[in-house]
Amino acid sequence: MTSAKAEARPTTAPPERPRKRSRRRQELVAALPWIGPTLALILTIVLFPAAYMVWTSVRDVSSFGVDRGPAGLDNYQRLLEFDAFPRVLLNTVVWVVGVVAITVLISLALAQLLNKAFPGRRLVRLAVIVPWASSVVMTSVVFYYGLDPFYGIFNQMLVDIGLLEAPYGFTKNAVPAFLVSMAIAVFVSLPFTTYTLLAGLQAIPEETFEAAQVDGAGAGRTYLEITLPSLRPALAVATIINIINVFNSLPILRTITGSIPGYDADTTTTLIFKFIQADRQVDTASAMSVVNFVLVLVIILGYLRIVRPMRED
Amino acid sequence: MKSTRRAIRASAVVLGLGVAVSACGFGGTGGGSESGGDSTIDLLVPTYSGGTKDLWEEIIADFEAENSDIQVNLEVQSWDNINDVVRTKVQANDAPDILNIDAFASFAADDLLYPAQDVLSEETLADFQESFVENASVDGEQMGLPLIASARTLFANTELMQQAGVTEMPATWDELLAASKKISALGGGVHGYGMPLGNEEAQAETSIWVFGNGGDWGDESEITVDTPENVEAVEFMKRMIDEGATQPDPGATDRTPLINVFVQGKIGFIEALPPTVDQIEKENPDLAYELTPIPTKDGSSVTLGVADHLMAFKNEGDKQDAIRTFLDYFYSTDVYTNFVQTENFLPVTQSAAEQMDNADMEVFLEALPDAKFYPSTNPAWPAAQGAMQTQIGQIGQGKPAAEVMAEIQARAEAG
Repeated sequence: MTSAKAEARPTTAPPERPRKRSRRRQELVAALPWIGPTLALILTIVLFPAAYMVWTSVRDVSSFGVDRGPAGLDNYQRLLEFDAFPRVLLNTVVWVVGVVAITVLISLALAQLLNKAFPGRRLVRLAVIVPWASSVVMTSVVFYYGLDPFYGIFNQMLVDIGLLEAPYGFTKNAVPAFLVSMAIAVFVSLPFTTYTLLAGLQAIPEETFEAAQVDGAGAGRTYLEITLPSLRPALAVATIINIINVFNSLPILRTITGSIPGYDADTTTTLIFKFIQADRQVDTASAMSVVNFVLVLVIILGYLRIVRPMRED
Repeated sequence: MKSTRRAIRASAVVLGLGVAVSACGFGGTGGGSESGGDSTIDLLVPTYSGGTKDLWEEIIADFEAENSDIQVNLEVQSWDNINDVVRTKVQANDAPDILNIDAFASFAADDLLYPAQDVLSEETLADFQESFVENASVDGEQMGLPLIASARTLFANTELMQQAGVTEMPATWDELLAASKKISALGGGVHGYGMPLGNEEAQAETSIWVFGNGGDWGDESEITVDTPENVEAVEFMKRMIDEGATQPDPGATDRTPLINVFVQGKIGFIEALPPTVDQIEKENPDLAYELTPIPTKDGSSVTLGVADHLMAFKNEGDKQDAIRTFLDYFYSTDVYTNFVQTENFLPVTQSAAEQMDNADMEVFLEALPDAKFYPSTNPAWPAAQGAMQTQIGQIGQGKPAAEVMAEIQARAEAG
């Protein structure tokens, strides 16, 4: 009896905690019908496929998708032994950093321009959306055909105005094709970035600028010390979403550099598809996908650590 | 602000995860035939031409009119996609009942297919041409059903030849090299020999050269890419490129666009296919060209034969009889001859070969007895082919032939 009483005691002694906990649980249960669908969606659409991907990466899968048993870390081993891997990693870094940095810089200028009142501003704002509204594959194909050495109009134009002696295979050689792809990636990333930054600009209260003016700050100083810091949250969103988008971007590189032999113009994302389509190695491709996922996480966490875009001063 | 930060981090993770996953090619959950019943067969085919879909729909409509108890669901995919679609479907246990694709050996190796004798009547089986049955068999058992055959031959622009002062059709490699250089020298966007080594079909162009040197890619048990004859052939290809006999950047030029350039009259020679005759007829009937046998090292006759196949998957439910009824109908002489002729290919059945009568196809039909095939019964061939598609073009970027061939050999063995 006494021992039972002693045991029962602690649960009743501090009455605050359990009540709080049970209330929390009650609240959670009450909230379930509302968050349930979202949870289910995340479980089935995000977590399950991700887990399946990790699972596939440690299996030996035949070229037509039949699971032939566990493979340990063989698939990862194969990646490490892959000769072109360093070049592909380097390409990926150049691709992500280059495209995102140039996009953000151009967007900052564009957003500034679109924030000024001038006649025809609405038209210009609409024009900036166009690359966003058209399909990325379509945009890429237009550039691809335009740059074709046999019937591309860009090539024709460059020859006609005397810049080139003969049509050049911009899309047929790894480095120029990669640069062309980067330019297209910047082109299609601009609208979203510009509009995110424009929204950020419009959220800065007019009084801060007035105050700066009163204090005698020049245009450059105002931009560096008021505009940029106030834009930080918008910049953070734009940069992170762009990093993810650009990192995982496939259609541009597939269209522009897809027919180039070797791996000189591949990023880790296009490499995944080469593993699947050319080498028929679904398992290696899964391992590459896992690595890809870790990479993008590292890049984003690195960005958050180094740039600290959410820092509050 | 803190919660915003957390929200951004979380959404970044979720987004990254979502996109990373969508990149790993997981798809197709369940599904299958909705109408149910054993008399529904799913048919998955690639497009050979703009008219492929209509052609199949016509055949299916006629078939269903005769066999009201069997329904055929048609799915048409482009050649770019069909391999991925099939892989996804097989992985999701949702394989089509009948599939039209090039290689069947991997499916056979995974024990997914009915042997030919289980899904065809004896008459139909006996009607296939001998060489194609051999090419469709694994360990002596016929697993694939040859559907269409194709062969290559050299298309020559006679007007450009005349302008460049080339009087005779090249029959050997050296003659081809000399003639191509003369035509390239004309300038003005004209090139001597069109060599498509882009990933669309680099393996076909490479095979033509390798076979023309007496080489081959091995058999059903062994893939031999890196052999002295093969390397010698690829070295000559590299010589063609390095000496300016080909169009620029052959390594990144795909076949279809390059054939278009030939049709426009800007290329002297190109190895092309029966449907190219039809394409020229439609798009540039004024082109002055001739078909001639493929030049080889010593002038002996050879061509790359390609046969695409139908195959029947063992799926749940007993659909064998329905499949047999449909396939026997499809291979009946009139239906099949119409199919082959409309698509501009060469027939694989004896009865259709007798019924066909087409002067344009003569050069191709004559080369067919000397045709060599890809070792498509070797389950490692698709990997070898894929490696060839993505690697061989590097000979045009200064990489030595032997090195590229050794790399492809290694990939074929790893697959």
